[in-house]
Amino acid sequence: MKRVSRRTTALFALVWAIVLCLLIFFTQLAVKGERWALFSANGNIYAGGALLAGTLLDRSGEILNEPGVGGARLYSDSREIRTATLHAVGDAQGNIGTGALKVYAPKLAGYSLISGVYPRKGENVYLSIDAQLCRAAYKALSGRKGAVVVANYRTGEIYCMVSSPSFDPLNVPDLESEKYEGAYINRAISSAYTPGSVFKLVTLAAAIENIPDLFERTFTCDGGVTIGSDYVKCTGRHGAISIEDALAVSCNSAFAELSLELGAETLERYAKQLGLTESVSIDSIKTASGQFEKAGEGSADLAWSGIGQYRDTVCPAAMLRFMMAIANGGKAADLTLLRRSGIKALLPPPDKRILSAETAEKMSVLLSYNVYKSYGEANFPGLELYAKTGTAEVGGGKQPHAWFAGYITNEDCPFAFAVVVENGGSGRSAAGAVANAVLQEAVRRYGNK
Amino acid sequence: MQFQAAFERFAAFIGGECAFFGAYSALVRYILPVLAAVILIRCFQSMRTGEQEFECWGYLSLPNGARVPLRHWENTVGRSKSADVHLEYPTLSRSHAAVIRDDTGAWFVFDLRSKGGVFVNGRKVEGSRQIKNGDILSLGGVELAFIAVTPKEAKEEETALSPAPRAWVTLVFLTLFQALLGFQLCVAAGAALEFGVVLSFLALMAMTWLSYLLVRLMRRTAFEVETVAFFLSTLGAAVTATSVPSDALRQTGILALGVFAYFLLGFFLRDLGRAVRMRRVVAAGGLLLLAVNVLAGTSLFGAKNWLSIGGFSFQPSEFVKIAFVFAGAATMDRLFARRNLYLFVAFAGACVGALALMGDFGTALVFFVAYLVIAFMRSGDLTAVALSVGGAAAAGFLAMSIKPHIAQRFATWRHAWDTPFGAGYQQTRAMSAAASGGLFGLGAGAGWLKSVFAANTDLVFAMLCEELGFLMAALAIFALLLLVFYTVHFSGAARSSFYVIAASAACAIFLIQVLLNAFGSVDLLPFTGVTFPFVSKGGSSLVASWGLLAFIKSCDTRKNASFALRAQKRYLKSEARHVPEAMEDEPVWDGGEDTYDEDDDAFDFDPGAFDDDFPEE
Repeated sequence: MKRVSRRTTALFALVWAIVLCLLIFFTQLAVKGERWALFSANGNIYAGGALLAGTLLDRSGEILNEPGVGGARLYSDSREIRTATLHAVGDAQGNIGTGALKVYAPKLAGYSLISGVYPRKGENVYLSIDAQLCRAAYKALSGRKGAVVVANYRTGEIYCMVSSPSFDPLNVPDLESEKYEGAYINRAISSAYTPGSVFKLVTLAAAIENIPDLFERTFTCDGGVTIGSDYVKCTGRHGAISIEDALAVSCNSAFAELSLELGAETLERYAKQLGLTESVSIDSIKTASGQFEKAGEGSADLAWSGIGQYRDTVCPAAMLRFMMAIANGGKAADLTLLRRSGIKALLPPPDKRILSAETAEKMSVLLSYNVYKSYGEANFPGLELYAKTGTAEVGGGKQPHAWFAGYITNEDCPFAFAVVVENGGSGRSAAGAVANAVLQEAVRRYGNK
Repeated sequence: MQFQAAFERFAAFIGGECAFFGAYSALVRYILPVLAAVILIRCFQSMRTGEQEFECWGYLSLPNGARVPLRHWENTVGRSKSADVHLEYPTLSRSHAAVIRDDTGAWFVFDLRSKGGVFVNGRKVEGSRQIKNGDILSLGGVELAFIAVTPKEAKEEETALSPAPRAWVTLVFLTLFQALLGFQLCVAAGAALEFGVVLSFLALMAMTWLSYLLVRLMRRTAFEVETVAFFLSTLGAAVTATSVPSDALRQTGILALGVFAYFLLGFFLRDLGRAVRMRRVVAAGGLLLLAVNVLAGTSLFGAKNWLSIGGFSFQPSEFVKIAFVFAGAATMDRLFARRNLYLFVAFAGACVGALALMGDFGTALVFFVAYLVIAFMRSGDLTAVALSVGGAAAAGFLAMSIKPHIAQRFATWRHAWDTPFGAGYQQTRAMSAAASGGLFGLGAGAGWLKSVFAANTDLVFAMLCEELGFLMAALAIFALLLLVFYTVHFSGAARSSFYVIAASAACAIFLIQVLLNAFGSVDLLPFTGVTFPFVSKGGSSLVASWGLLAFIKSCDTRKNASFALRAQKRYLKSEARHVPEAMEDEPVWDGGEDTYDEDDDAFDFDPGAFDDDFPEE
């Protein structure tokens, strides 16, 4: 009997298999549970692919999107806000892959390992964006294609992220038409444009750190530079000119010379270091990566690449981050679309140094001088503005892309911005005006409180 | 009518807006797993504190005057440490002889092909021989006097027993658990509440206490395995109430049938001789049932494993599990005869083959694992078991090449998320729902998975996770592991290897089913669609689970604990009245229909193999 009885321990093989499987299952639950729960067929929190739980609000508590009765999700009551925040919020079908409805679905669903999705009411997710600022930005773009991004350079919170063309998710137009070309793309983070002269700031940063006598130099502009058989045309005939003025008037001749002197290697290194050629993270969203192709040493292409033409491309969000670093003493705060609140708000925001404090300081002086010298302070009333324009030639007989990027230092308004107007023409007049409209709204809402 | 109106008022009240219900639902999620844990821990303690209490059925008196008790009906005597009567005499073989009692009280000695031989009162024993009180056994020259236990001695021993475990306290917890769970289901259903759900839970509570009463009426005290089974059946009732509320009452009716089957089978097992004699009948019945199933079965949901008689559908394979366990179990004298094992191998092959023909590969696998456990229990031969596994693997590959939907299941295995709208449809939803529940669940009746096909059977583990939480699902598994603990713990003192093998086989069936059901549904193992014992909705499975439980109950030899065993005192009393006159001529072992022939070459028991399964020296 003893022997037969002892053989019952054979059952332990099965017992251990079960215990092992239970442990593996629990581990999987801990690791993959969130992904499993957020499967769009999960009827506990989804109906017809739409989340049944969780409310999306802007930073001031204005409801952007909430679950409605019977599965459909409700957007803001205001058509303008629905349209302006569409790309930040996302559409019902999930075609806008970077929309908050998709990206922050786990937060909205209120998933946790301990309570799952109980009680299926989801959670309130406060985005960092300001719906009113977005509305102002979308209005200022007035139907032109492009993007506006504004962020707090101290905290990294994005206050405004607008992409045009957009549409009212409650009255979806015919998106096949030319007017709505690429309407599902959030141009602020998923597109990369030829930067034009804004890129001169990269060349400038490299020059400040690599050419000791930069500020003592005098450049000569005869309306262009001949390099081999090619000619790099300038925007004007600037004569003898300092680096300060060269940036203010955006002198191609001076920056072509600097580019050739610095070389493709150095320029590429700086473009990368400043985060312009690689994808930048906004929480879990990866922005489009830019491009800087090394041209042959001593070539006109190299000169063009140093002034933001040739094959250069930059994503507006990456440009914004570069401006944030200049404004913040060289440290770029990590971008986020979630409002910082609670204990998180008390901790210093995570950041990364991409410029030395010294270089940032020198650049800020030049950016301020730009506005004073060339852009006209009267065009930006009340703004303590630091900026650079870009008018990027795109060829094909089309108008150039208009860029305007920089930051303001008004009290309680630590905002950096990047504006692109596709085929908008002059950077200063097209993009500058849009930036002014948004920044005026920002100062009205946050300044001098 | 008045009753009807009262219920409607109740449903309207439940469906109404009331802050209490919200708070109740939120709170009960945490209370239920705690109660479940308390119930299972109490059961575990009750099993553990009842230390293996060895019965004593007789003695062997040694030359030095010491008395060695015979603690089972089947005892081996030898030099080996694993012998039941372990004697350190160099002339003894490691497994020298077996001293075996049948259910009439007659004792026999078997020579296990010892070197020194076995003599009774000086006469050499060829094979086996009956012995009676006072006979002198000579094993390899060692003289032992055989002394049978008298009723008086047994009675004295009985007075020194540990007190009965207080099962009713655990039952109070179980009743509370059932009430809270049932009320939660009512709240979740709201105004749509069906009367059957309320009634089914009331009936469940009543049935739990009535069963306990019945056990007490039989003057038995232990109720651990029944408590565990009622706990699991309560989870099953909740699953039915949430997925098909209109079936709630019917399911409870089936549960009553299962409990009835449990008591019936347990009572039947009391008489070992009768149980042994019925083995072949039951096995033949099982085979017949499967044959009818193969020929006349209907195909519901893929496999042709359903039989419809008079509008009533059931799965014969579930009941054949009981026949399988019956056929596999054997008393020790049969373990010496290989022929019995070969017969069983043929029977198992027929069962597994029939199931494969029906396309029910999940159940075929369940039978195969039960077969492996029985084969190992009987032979102790790991090599043979390993060979069987190899053979089965080859057969499995063959099956996959013939039946494409089996291959499909294996292709989906671990890749469910690749085809969430195809072959991985059920598994992905099961995983998603399981994750939704977290540790404490969304609340009974509040889940969504029930709308997915076969959620209350094949995906029931995920349903438990979703509605009652991962903790409860894990506790459901631990509840079944308790039955294994019970079996292993008490089998050391069991009367006959028949009970031990049967209980182990029943455990093996439960375990493999849990393994395949729970972890197949969440894509850790291939998705085979077997049921979760006691919990999955369905008639045949529930009744069969309760039936198998009777085998587990029968290995508990604590005094007055298990109703599936006749009390020792009563055995001895009845024997004292009509002790068979010891036969002077060549006695014949008649413990079963296998008459023992001296020159039967089926007796090729190999003491060496018997010895080496647990090498200890």
